[in-house]
Formats: sequence, structure tokens, C-alpha cells
Amino acid sequence: MSISIKILGTGCAKCKQTTAIVQEVVNENNIDATIEKIEDIMEIMQYNVLSTPVLVVNEEIKIKGRVPSKKEVEELLK
Amino acid sequence: MNLAKQICPTTTMGKIENGALIVDVRKATEVANVAFDVPNFINIRIDEMEERFTEIPNDKEIVMVCLSGERSLKTTYFLMNNGYENVFNMDGGIIKWVSKGFPTKGSVDELLNTGSCDCSQSNCC
Repeated sequence: MSISIKILGTGCAKCKQTTAIVQEVVNENNIDATIEKIEDIMEIMQYNVLSTPVLVVNEEIKIKGRVPSKKEVEELLK
Repeated sequence: MNLAKQICPTTTMGKIENGALIVDVRKATEVANVAFDVPNFINIRIDEMEERFTEIPNDKEIVMVCLSGERSLKTTYFLMNNGYENVFNMDGGIIKWVSKGFPTKGSVDELLNTGSCDCSQSNCC
């Protein structure tokens, strides 16, 4: 089944870095995933998180408030 | 989820006169440069909000503020998610407050040259 990945953030540099890392990991490993970038504050706050970027995998918050390393993302998406 | 209630500086001033608490979520250094000169005021920066939000009373009107209104909007939703009903976001932040001539402490010169986006100073950037 396709993995649902969401990156929450209002469009800042760290959020963009996170999206790029996730995209790279998905592409390099041929992972069946949908990547969605959530920038709307109301939508972000449905997850009740104040520190962005946030990485959500299958509706579960995995990382918040920092840019994950590529290795971390690989581990999360295995 | 309900939409956050957004208010302008003039409405905020009216609420302050009726005893509302202003919660400024900017960093202490930003507050030291220029602050709201209002009677009921506390500073809890956004990255401390999850640990400190219980310091905010939920039996009075609360107006969340920051530089431009973006960080405070997030914290408005955060308080709503935690059961606060009388919480408002002041749209436009202290930049709009100053432009309307409402009272501040400190130097507003630098503030008036700041753009409306406070992303670079927020916790996310």
C-alpha cells in the first residue's frame, strides 16, 4: 500500500529542505508514496504542532521542529 | 476545527480596556526591542508554548500577538485545541499595531522597516 507522507510547514527554508530530502529518499528507493506539502496554518494546526517542519507518515507525527537527515527518513520509510 | 477569530488592533485595544490578556509569542530579544505598552501582558515565545500554555488563564479573553500575526495564529489554534474558547489572534501583529499609532515601549524605527513576513524570525526557519 502506498505510504502517505505529509510535510507540514508554512513555506520556510527548513520545510523546503525536508521536502527535498523526503523526495530524494522516495525516488532513490523506488518507494510507493504520496508526498503532500501542507502550508495552511489551520491544516497544520489540526496536528496541534507549533514547531515546524513536521514529518507525518501515515498520519503519525514522526519528526517535528527540525530537518531530518536522509538516513533518518530512509529508516522511517522502510 | 473552527476557524480562529482574527481581530484588528482597534478591536484588540477595546478588549484590553475590558481586561483582556495580551500574550506575545515573539522571542525575548524581539520584545526587548519593542513591546506592547499595555497593562495585561505576558511573553511566552512560540517554542515554549507547549510547556507553558497552562500559565494562560482560560477564564478571560486572550489576544495572541507577534510580529506580523503568523506565529500568533498558530498559537491561537494551539490554545483552541487545548480548550480555550475566548482566544483571538491579532491579525498583522505589532507591525499593524504600530502603524495604527497604538502604544509601544522601545524603538519602533527598525520595526517599521520590517516586511510583513516574520518567517525568518519564527521557530521554523
